[in-house]
Amino acid sequence: MKSKLENIFLLFIFILLTRNSFAQDYLKKQFEYADSLYKNQNYYDAITEFKRLLFFDKYGEYKYQANEMIGLSYKQGAKFSDAILYFTIAEMNARNNDELLESKLLIIRCNILRRTTSHAIDLLTLLGNDKRFADEEKEIFYWKGWTYIFADEWNKASQEFSKTDTNETLSSLCKKVDEDKYSVAFADAISHFIPGAGQIYTGHYLSGLLSLGWNILWGYVTVNAFEANRVFDGLVVGNFLWLRFYNGNLQNAKKFAEEENLKITNKAMQFLQFNYAGLKP
Amino acid sequence: MKIIFIILILSSTYLWAQTDWVRWGKADYSYQQKDPSFERNYSIDSQNLGRAALKSFADAYWILISDVDGDNCSFSPTCSNFFVQSVEKTNIVQGTLMFFDRFTRDMDIFGKLGQYPRVPDGHYYDPISLYTLNPRKIKYIPPPAVINNE
Amino acid sequence: MKNLIIYLFLLTSFSFSQNKIPVRNINLFSPLNIKIFGDYLFCQKDYLRAIGEYQHYLTMASNDTVEFKIALAYSEMSDFSKAAEKFAAIRSNSPFYSDAEMELMKSLFQAGDFFEFRKNFQNVIGKNSTAFSKTISLYNFSFLLTNNPLPAEQEFLGAFPKEDLAKVKNFYEWKENPPEKSPVTAAILSAIIPGAGKFYTHKYADGIWAFIASVGFAYLSYDNFHAKHYFRGWLFGGLAAGFYAGNVYGAAASAQIYNAKIHFDFVSDLKSFLDARNYFLPKFKFCK
Repeated sequence: MKSKLENIFLLFIFILLTRNSFAQDYLKKQFEYADSLYKNQNYYDAITEFKRLLFFDKYGEYKYQANEMIGLSYKQGAKFSDAILYFTIAEMNARNNDELLESKLLIIRCNILRRTTSHAIDLLTLLGNDKRFADEEKEIFYWKGWTYIFADEWNKASQEFSKTDTNETLSSLCKKVDEDKYSVAFADAISHFIPGAGQIYTGHYLSGLLSLGWNILWGYVTVNAFEANRVFDGLVVGNFLWLRFYNGNLQNAKKFAEEENLKITNKAMQFLQFNYAGLKP
Repeated sequence: MKIIFIILILSSTYLWAQTDWVRWGKADYSYQQKDPSFERNYSIDSQNLGRAALKSFADAYWILISDVDGDNCSFSPTCSNFFVQSVEKTNIVQGTLMFFDRFTRDMDIFGKLGQYPRVPDGHYYDPISLYTLNPRKIKYIPPPAVINNE
Repeated sequence: MKNLIIYLFLLTSFSFSQNKIPVRNINLFSPLNIKIFGDYLFCQKDYLRAIGEYQHYLTMASNDTVEFKIALAYSEMSDFSKAAEKFAAIRSNSPFYSDAEMELMKSLFQAGDFFEFRKNFQNVIGKNSTAFSKTISLYNFSFLLTNNPLPAEQEFLGAFPKEDLAKVKNFYEWKENPPEKSPVTAAILSAIIPGAGKFYTHKYADGIWAFIASVGFAYLSYDNFHAKHYFRGWLFGGLAAGFYAGNVYGAAASAQIYNAKIHFDFVSDLKSFLDARNYFLPKFKFCK
C-alpha cells in the first residue's frame, strides 16, 4: 500500500516537472524567434514577438529577458524613454545581482545617450553606494566618464577615465579635446578690449578685421563729434553705430568660439561612435 | 523607489503605446550635436540679371555689415532675408512694399510678444507667404506655437 | 488512503485548471491565440500591433467583432481616412453594421471629407434611425466647416438639444456673417491716415509706428528741403514715400491675416465644442 502511495507521489511530481519542461519548450522557441527578428534589425516586430512571449509566459520565466530585449529594441530605434521603461520592468524582475546590475547599467546608458546627465550621474552614484556592487567600481568610473562626454564636460570625463588604469585611450582623448577647445570666456574678454580679437583667436580673420575696422571708424566719428561739440551727432553715431558694432563684435566672439568648439567635440564624437572599439553607451 | 517607478509606468501607458502607432525601424542616432546657428545662403543666381544684382547687393550687406553688427532683427527670416525672398517670390515693386511694411513692424520693439509664433531660437516667425496678398497662401499659426522649420 | 488519492487527484487537476491556456503543445500562432493576443494589445492601446494580429487572424477565420475593432483601432490612432475605409468595408449582415455606419460618418467628418460624409448621410436617412439621429448634428456642423450654402436657421438648430442651442446659434450666426475685415477698406484707411488701416485690423502698435515712420520722414524731408539740403530732402522724401506705400500695402495684408486668424479661431472653437460635448467619443466597451 505504501509503495502505491509512493508511486502516486512520483507520478504527481513527474506531471509537475514535465508540465514545466513543456512550457519552457514552446516559450524558448518563441524567444528564439523574437531574438532572430531582433538580430535581423526588425525591431518593431521583435517587440511584438517579445510581447507575445510575455503574454503567454504565465510563470514569468522570461519576464527579465523579454523586457530587456524590448528595451534594447527601443534603444535601437533611438526611443530611449520607452527603452528605459522596459529596462525598469526588467530590473524589477531581475533574479540575481548580475541581472540587476545589467539592467541598471542599461538604464544608465540610455540616460547617457539622451543626455539626461544629472539622472545618469545620480543613478551611477546610487550604484556606487550599493554594497552588492562593491566590485564594480571600474564599471562605474567608465560610465561616469561617458556621461561627462555626452554632457560636453571633457575635463571631468578625462578625470573619471583616469581613475582606472584600463581606460587610458579615452582618458587621453578627452584630455586632448579639453585642451583643444577654445575658451569662450577668453574670446569674449579679449574682444572687450580689442574688438575683433576674439574672432581672430578662433581663426575668423576676415570677420575680426571687419569688426575692428567698423569699431575704429565709428569710434573715431563719435569722438570727433564730441570734440567738435556736436553732442547730438556724437550720441546718435555712438549709440546706433558704434555700440551696435561693438555689441556685434562681442556676440560674434562668443558665437565663433562656441561654433569652433562644437566642431572639435563633434569630431571627437564621430571618432568615438565609429572608430572606438570599446563598449559604448 | 519602486512604487514611484510603478506609478510612472502606469501613468505613462498611454504615451508609451503611442510610440508604436507608426512602424519604425533602426534609427541612425548620432553622438554629434547639431550646430544651432543658421547658415546664410550667399549664392547668386546668374540667370537673371536683376536678381543677381539684388542678391550681390544683399550678400555684400550681409558680409560687410549684417554679419558683424550682431543679431538685431527679432524676426525670422531676418529683414534682409525677407526682402530678398519677397522680391524672388513676387516682383521688385511688391517686394519693396512688403519690405517697408516689415520694417515698420520691426520698429515695434515691445508689442511683438504674443503677436507672432516663434522659431526654436526665439525669433518671431514671420514668413513671406502671409504678405503676398494671396489669401490662399496664408496659413495662420497661433502665437504661442514654436515652429521647427519653414 | 482512498481519500488521500482523491485529494491528490483533485490537487493536480486543480493546478491544471488554473491555467486558462492549455499547457502542452501551445501553438502561439493558432487563430484563437492570435486573437486573444490581439485583444490584449488592443486594450493596451498598442493599436497598430493589434491591427497586425487581427489582420493575421482574419486570414484564417472570419469574425465581425475583429473587423470592427480594426476600424476602431485606426480611429483611436486618429488615422481617420483609414478608419473610414475599414468601417465602410463592414458588411450589412454584421451585427456591427449600424454602429459601423455611424462610425464611418464620424471618421469621414474627422478626416475632413465632408463631401463623402454628406453622401453617406443621405444614404442613412430613412434606413438607419440611430445613425441618423446621432449624426444629424454633425451633418449640420459640416456646413459650418465648408463654404457650401448654409441650411435655414430653424432647420439647422432643430438638430440640437436645448442646452447647446445658444452656443450653436452663435456658431451659425458667425458663419452666416463672419466679422471679417475688408482689405480694401484697410488700404483706403491707411491711405488717408497712415496707420489707420492697422488700427482697423487691431494691430495698434504697428499702426502707431507706421504713422511715426511715414509722417516723421515726410517732416524730415520737408525740413531739409526748407534748409536747401536737397540730397537729404530727396533721401528722406523717398523713405517717407516708401513707408507710406508700404503702410497702405501692409494694411491690406494685415486685414487678410486678421481674417485668417478669426477663421482659425472659429474652427478651433467649434472643434473644442465638439470635443467637450463628446460628439466623437466611441462608447464601445471592449476593454475593462
